[in-house]
Amino acid sequence: MQLLQLVINGLAMGAIYALVALGLLQIFNAVRIVNFGQGQLLMVGAFLGLSTIVQAGLPMWLAYPVTLAAMAVIGVVFMLVAYYPVRGKPYYVLILTTIAMGIVLENLALIIWGPLPQAVPSPFGSAQWQFGGVTVSLHVLFVFAVTAVMLLGQWWFFNRTTYGRMMQATAQDMEMARLVGVRVRYTIAGAFALAAVFAGAGGLLVAPMFLAEPSMGGSLGLKAYVVSVIGGFGSLQGAVIAGLLLGVVETLAAGYISSTYRDAYAFIIMITMLFVMPRGLFGEKISERV
Amino acid sequence: MAMNLRTVDQEGSACLRLRVFCLKAGRLSKIRRPHQSGRGVRVDNLGQTMKKIVGIGIAAGVLVAPMHLWAQGVANCPNPIPLALTVPLTSGIALLGVQARNGVEDAIDQINAAGGIGGKKLKLSVEDATASATTALNSLNRLMGGDPVVVFSSMISPHIFTQAEVVKRDGVPFMFTGTNAQLAHLGIPWFFRMHVHDGQLADLVPRYVVETMKMKKPAIIAVSDDYGLGASKEMQKTFESLGVKLVALESYGASDKDMSAQLTNIKKAGADVILVWGRPGDVTLVLKQRKQLGIDIPVVGNSSVVSTPALNNLTAEEADGALAIGGMIPQVSQDPVAQDFVKRVTDKYRVPPDNFAVAYRDATYMVKAAIEKVGCDRKAVRDELAKTKDFKGLLITYKADSYGDLAHTLGVYRNKGKSPQLVETIKERGF
Repeated sequence: MQLLQLVINGLAMGAIYALVALGLLQIFNAVRIVNFGQGQLLMVGAFLGLSTIVQAGLPMWLAYPVTLAAMAVIGVVFMLVAYYPVRGKPYYVLILTTIAMGIVLENLALIIWGPLPQAVPSPFGSAQWQFGGVTVSLHVLFVFAVTAVMLLGQWWFFNRTTYGRMMQATAQDMEMARLVGVRVRYTIAGAFALAAVFAGAGGLLVAPMFLAEPSMGGSLGLKAYVVSVIGGFGSLQGAVIAGLLLGVVETLAAGYISSTYRDAYAFIIMITMLFVMPRGLFGEKISERV
Repeated sequence: MAMNLRTVDQEGSACLRLRVFCLKAGRLSKIRRPHQSGRGVRVDNLGQTMKKIVGIGIAAGVLVAPMHLWAQGVANCPNPIPLALTVPLTSGIALLGVQARNGVEDAIDQINAAGGIGGKKLKLSVEDATASATTALNSLNRLMGGDPVVVFSSMISPHIFTQAEVVKRDGVPFMFTGTNAQLAHLGIPWFFRMHVHDGQLADLVPRYVVETMKMKKPAIIAVSDDYGLGASKEMQKTFESLGVKLVALESYGASDKDMSAQLTNIKKAGADVILVWGRPGDVTLVLKQRKQLGIDIPVVGNSSVVSTPALNNLTAEEADGALAIGGMIPQVSQDPVAQDFVKRVTDKYRVPPDNFAVAYRDATYMVKAAIEKVGCDRKAVRDELAKTKDFKGLLITYKADSYGDLAHTLGVYRNKGKSPQLVETIKERGF
């Protein structure tokens, strides 16, 4: 029974990792940069949830879309500040600006919402199911459902919509995309807006479980990066499967080996993966260009 | 004679202007001499006048003497009097540093509003130490450039370890709340700790659990940093000395959100009490997840268990019955001064004060008392702080021991629903 409980808790944690990783991949698949500020965007989403639901007292059916719309705007601002001025610069410059934006967001949150950890209510309250000594919260099931919907939605968007294909084209070759009529600037802005919406959704889902606090995004963002590497950078299904896998492995290792090194397990797996399968679980084969 | 008269006249009028100075400078004999000689009416008249003057001077001197000594103490102080604070104001542990800053700032605002010290205002320079020990060291170096009379530093022990050499080199009274028991043994005479430390907690908490609560199968879950692991290691030793074996020893990372694996292990080990040691945010999650996993055994923790952030985010059911042993919190005090402090700080900073805010507030008033007495010479302030005995703080009385530890009283609190209640206070043995 202990094993089953640990697996369920691990899957819940893994679903959250996957959710953040999906946001990370949204930007990666559009502009080929890793946004190390993705975790902090999630944190902003959590605090906006706090402001709309708790402080403004909006009903959840209204607070959720308001938060996500605000996140879309923040995503565009993020692009204008952190990406647009340094586009075309070396890769490391782009990465550094996203790290810097993460720090800025964290400190802004500290100024606006203060350092206190604060709870954001779940649409399901604290309802939970118990069967045979195993406890599952309804909110965790909601997280699974949202992660699944987002995975399918993102797959559909990238593979079945014109706008999604334009984003992929932009990621593959920006100049060529521009030549064939893709409005690159708007496409990139859309990618950042969508990534921020993903992060916002993650924040709304994570805050009822783990409280909203300014520093909550740092470790989640890093885990999302680990998940993306393990799953194969760019692969949506890889991110979700790797996320769930990492959550379960971490929880089982904490339960049966030692909880002190919980964070270390994630990075050990990532490093091992880079040695054994550098492309990750679902990484695309890179064909040599002739 | 003429010379005498002139001398008397000159000396007398000089003393009228600077009565206190005359008394201090020992010129009384010069003034008296002509009168005692009894030469001539003019001299006698002058002698009578001088008698009055001297009488008034002595009376005023007696009345003014304490004020004079006080004024002399503060006289060597610059205006404004520089103080410095370096605590984490950003990063994951910002909440702790914010509490410290609020405590010092509020006390300084109150002191300055009441006229400062001898008419001189206190001025606080603040540097963010973040969570990094290196940044804490750099921030202290920057602050020392402002020549502060006293430095208030962090509650993060690694910060204090790295700052120790600068404190030793520059010789500045250094007030902090880092709880690592070893800090007191670095042999730095400038160190003053305002908060109970791990050594005291490690001795008193297991004793309370075993002797008062009669528990036999304790489990510990602590944050895996210097604070949590230091405390759990020390508590483990005391449990062993009491003949009680821990059934589970678990830890979690400072940024971990899911402690269910550790709690499931504790449940499986058959513990009859959980000792939880961490920061308010993660202790909240431990209490929440413990309830979700259906673990219904008593919980004893540090002050985080009764902190406002924890109680704001827990349901009454999740918080109820949990015990906290540690620094004193102001919320439960009936004292109007403490209640006023809670209200004022909460209104001003939107963060309800905790045990750290109280400790830093008391530290500031202790520094004020020392400066009033001996002025702004750092060595004199240090010596004065080292003599602290029965200094009445907001909630407890402070006494300096030979290591510079000033706090020796712990509070035992129990949550009744979401309201903490003081069960009792425990004093460190020997205090």
